[in-house]
Amino acid sequence: MTHQLKDGGQVLNVGMLARVEGEGGMHIEIKDRQVVSVKLNIFEPPRFYEGFLRGRKYTEPPDITARICGICPVAYQSASTEAMETICGVTTTPEIQLMRRLLYCGEWIESHSLHIFMLHAPDFLGYESVLEMAKDHADVVNMALRLKKCGNDVMELVGGRAIHPVNVKVGGFYRMPSLTELVGLRPDLERGLEDALAAVQLVSTFDFPDMEQDYNYVSLRHPDWYPLERGTEMVATSGVRFPIAEVTDHIKEFHVEHSNALHASFDGEKFFVGPLARYSLNFDQLSPRCQEAALKAGLGETCRNPFKSIIVRTVELAYAFEEALRIIDLWQDGHAPSVPVAPKAGEGIGASEAPRGTIWHRYKIDADGIILDAQIVPPTSQNQASIEADLRLAAQQWVDLDDHTLTHRCEAAIRNYDPCISCATHFLDLRVKRS
Amino acid sequence: MTADAMVIGLGSPDRGDDAVGAAVAERVRAVVGDDVQVLAREDPTCLVQAWDGCRVVVLIDAMISGVAGGTVSVRRAGTRDAPLPTHAFAAAGRGGSHAFGVAGAVELSRALGTLPEHVAIVGIEVTTLTHGPMSAQVEASIDKAVAAVRAELASAGITTHGEEAGTCA
Repeated sequence: MTHQLKDGGQVLNVGMLARVEGEGGMHIEIKDRQVVSVKLNIFEPPRFYEGFLRGRKYTEPPDITARICGICPVAYQSASTEAMETICGVTTTPEIQLMRRLLYCGEWIESHSLHIFMLHAPDFLGYESVLEMAKDHADVVNMALRLKKCGNDVMELVGGRAIHPVNVKVGGFYRMPSLTELVGLRPDLERGLEDALAAVQLVSTFDFPDMEQDYNYVSLRHPDWYPLERGTEMVATSGVRFPIAEVTDHIKEFHVEHSNALHASFDGEKFFVGPLARYSLNFDQLSPRCQEAALKAGLGETCRNPFKSIIVRTVELAYAFEEALRIIDLWQDGHAPSVPVAPKAGEGIGASEAPRGTIWHRYKIDADGIILDAQIVPPTSQNQASIEADLRLAAQQWVDLDDHTLTHRCEAAIRNYDPCISCATHFLDLRVKRS
Repeated sequence: MTADAMVIGLGSPDRGDDAVGAAVAERVRAVVGDDVQVLAREDPTCLVQAWDGCRVVVLIDAMISGVAGGTVSVRRAGTRDAPLPTHAFAAAGRGGSHAFGVAGAVELSRALGTLPEHVAIVGIEVTTLTHGPMSAQVEASIDKAVAAVRAELASAGITTHGEEAGTCA
């Protein structure tokens, strides 16, 4: 909806930003064809998770924080368990780590398949929603639903539930799935891998707006594998790298007036977490098959066009299938589901790569394991400044487009991030003001 | 092989009255034959695939409409019924997957041409969705909801056994 202002300017209102997880708002002001202000408004009241974790036991965050989000609960569980195990000086077994990685593959498959095909693809295929897209591209939507189901199946078997897993604990799992159960997933996962690899080529044929930014990408990194459930350090394209334990020296949260989700800076500047960052900083850790698919799809070893995040996300989807199959093939029965974790006073950090980007948790507990302080930093909060920078560039680059087209282009620029405003908070209302 | 009919209880087993869908489905399991598959699911996005190829589906879910807690109502949403009305995803068709609910699943299935001929949604008005047990009001409505499911199966030619199928206002 466009409003003509008394000074000749215009205000464009979109009641709710479409096809993102949660709800929020945005305000763009244009004066004399120059973008003068861009604000991602997140005005959902704070959810106080960090507050009510204080006073709870050190064993509770995996279950409590998983409830923050129905799309990426494993990200919260992984970061919180790692933080507590770090504080308590416990190292879990390689088998527990493998099973955590498999559970994380399930979450990536669920989340990526939903975003790629049901939320993001309509932007490129020219539909308002997946419901309209389904009429003309039933094969693509049916494939998306099949892929999503594979993720659900992994989550149900390993995590005990498809949405908020209940099988995760500090120290490991309550129960390990059997080899027979895991092998039962294989046929669907094999088909899923082939579908995902084909989908990489499919999405690469979309028409991508020409836009690049000189992002400071930030991601976890591990010497042996592409980062999912954990990393050993945090790396940035700026060249900075450090152990996870030092993240609070570099990433600072701060409040801005127009958002109830805390913004964040990396060494004082905006930064970017998510698939584009992971891919660009860890291309060498992808499997040969996924590397080949990415290069065949026209990607380089880095990617700076945010609209091409859909290709990168699809490469990661294929990788999650491949990893799930690899882990199942390695599995043998008989491993202990968990290791004991006795409380120990201290402070520690855990981090993982949520589908949308790096998430990290910091906890301080006393000798009885009571939580004294908690800090949860999800990817969408960290990306707010980069989202605003993209919107500024997009609005300026396409300032001469009509309001409807410009609004759509700006919404798509936000969807490039697959933002989970439900993690950061809720509600989005898009406004472009011209004068 | 896909069953001729399916009864699906939808909702989280941990969140108070949201558990009622699965509780009703579990009760129905005892009175149906092999031609009826009974499922409990939490994620509405799985529905489209779950019922593909099925002729009759009865879906039981928690509902918030402002009427008294425990009220049971039935809405039909099959291929010959009207599309479901306003919903973040079904109406605007633009919500994120957090907003994808029963209406989204039904209308996506309709668009894909996989919507079963008979779809009945048995809704139970809930009073609490916080963690913990079901409310007494909703627990007391389970018999009525089971009767509604049996009545819907009967109307689609699916016989149940045990107590006679009831009807629902």
